[in-house]
Amino acid sequence: MAMIEIKDVFAGYGIGPDILTGLSLNVVAGRSYCIVGPNGAGKSTLLKVICGQLPPRSGSVMFNGQDLAGLRTDEVLERGICFVPQDRSLFTDMTIRENLQMGGYILKDSAEIDRRIEGVLEMFPVLKSRLGLAAKTLSGGQQQQLLIGRALVLRPKVIMLDEPTLGLAPKISRQIFDSMNELKAAGIAIIVVEQNARMGLNFADWGCVLDLGRMVFEGPSQDVLSDERIEQLYLGRKRQTEAAS
Amino acid sequence: MVQNIQIIILGLALGGVYALMASGLTLIFGVMGIVNLSHSAFMIVGAFIAFYAFTLFGIDPILSIVITMPAMFLLGIVVYKLIFARSFADPAKRSVMVLMTFALALVIEGTLGFFFSNIYRSTSPSYASDAVIVGPFFLPLGQLYAMAMSIVILLLLWAYLKYTWTGYAIRATMHNRTAAEVVGVNVDRISMLVFGIGMALAGASGSALSFVFSFYPSKHWEFVAILLSLVVLGGMGSLLGALIGALSLSVVAAFVSSNYGPTWSPVTFYLALFIILLVRPQGLLGKKSGL
Repeated sequence: MAMIEIKDVFAGYGIGPDILTGLSLNVVAGRSYCIVGPNGAGKSTLLKVICGQLPPRSGSVMFNGQDLAGLRTDEVLERGICFVPQDRSLFTDMTIRENLQMGGYILKDSAEIDRRIEGVLEMFPVLKSRLGLAAKTLSGGQQQQLLIGRALVLRPKVIMLDEPTLGLAPKISRQIFDSMNELKAAGIAIIVVEQNARMGLNFADWGCVLDLGRMVFEGPSQDVLSDERIEQLYLGRKRQTEAAS
Repeated sequence: MVQNIQIIILGLALGGVYALMASGLTLIFGVMGIVNLSHSAFMIVGAFIAFYAFTLFGIDPILSIVITMPAMFLLGIVVYKLIFARSFADPAKRSVMVLMTFALALVIEGTLGFFFSNIYRSTSPSYASDAVIVGPFFLPLGQLYAMAMSIVILLLLWAYLKYTWTGYAIRATMHNRTAAEVVGVNVDRISMLVFGIGMALAGASGSALSFVFSFYPSKHWEFVAILLSLVVLGGMGSLLGALIGALSLSVVAAFVSSNYGPTWSPVTFYLALFIILLVRPQGLLGKKSGL
């Protein structure tokens, strides 16, 4: 049974046109999803709609049978859906510990938050020795780890990551995907929008191809990767390039 | 040498009061991104409350902060709800909000002028015109008490921001509004709260202003450029920056006043504002994108 049911959603910004134009998607508990598609397809918008940052104009977003429409971001968080935006949205002048504590802001229980932070630090030991330093002192990859760690303080059921490897070196990107694999192993449903579509699809169980605000294809990631039409239109002609070289 | 130290003492004493005045302005900018041009008009409202608390009930202007701060906090909440809440939610209207604060300042000035007329007033507790002599130095008690009051309030504000969950949320929203929203901070509620706190600080500033300066409804225009120069120098949205800006510029202004006459003292602030915006618009501690 689907944990998140997105049905025929239309959404856009301000008085602008619809970015999502009747998008539907079911998210199953414990499964990982990679959303791919060209620029402007609505990938980031979809995540914002799910987390409550952008209310849909029509259609519905249900979580375990409950409608998320009209809920604020904090209310969506309380239900176990965390969002890691693409713009490295850290509190850069606050310490790493304070950033992690802010991850548990809605819990408002310092002792419990500290316990959970200990768990997060086991997953990201690089952060442990720098807890008192400002977040801006971390490298790009470490900042991304801090962002994921901050989301994990809430022990979410679903974690959504918008371009988590944006601007990172390939080696660091692989480390981020290693971390995401650990989340996957822990049974957390993951929805990732990834610029490196091949890397994202190789990580995920399920691939979703968006174009012009609609779902044009979804299925097991390997099916998406092996579909020649999708490969040509959305992933680039790697095979031909490889053959030519 | 003695004269220079005397000037520094007087500059720092006044700078402490300016820091309190600027704190509310920079706090509101940090969270809401609005340059609140009506801030000093609200300070004058606070000064009037302190004045009447003193003349009608004999309440000391320093103690009057227990009236001015809660009263101005509530007024701030009402003003936020009536004027800013809806406009703030609409990105298209945010760009004109600075004009709304300008209009608000005019409305406050007009209302105060209508009811109280534009005559000079000041509260006159015994210490306002008193001074102590320490060695070769002359210490005006009124300014010293006002500075001490400012320091206590600013320390309490700092502790509130540093050690409470709501303080965490305010700091987080100041740093990165989107990120604060993502971790579950209700940024609209925080904006309303901060506007109220900013107004409470304006109220406390009004209490201090009522015995350090004489005031009248349109006096607030004199403070607008001064406060803007302080927060711009420190970095818009930075409390520590506002404190540094207030202390340093006040000392410079005191030297200018001593050497070239008091008429030139305000020019220090205007000139500083002009130069900072040209050379380093983000100020000493502000973020580049902050302005």
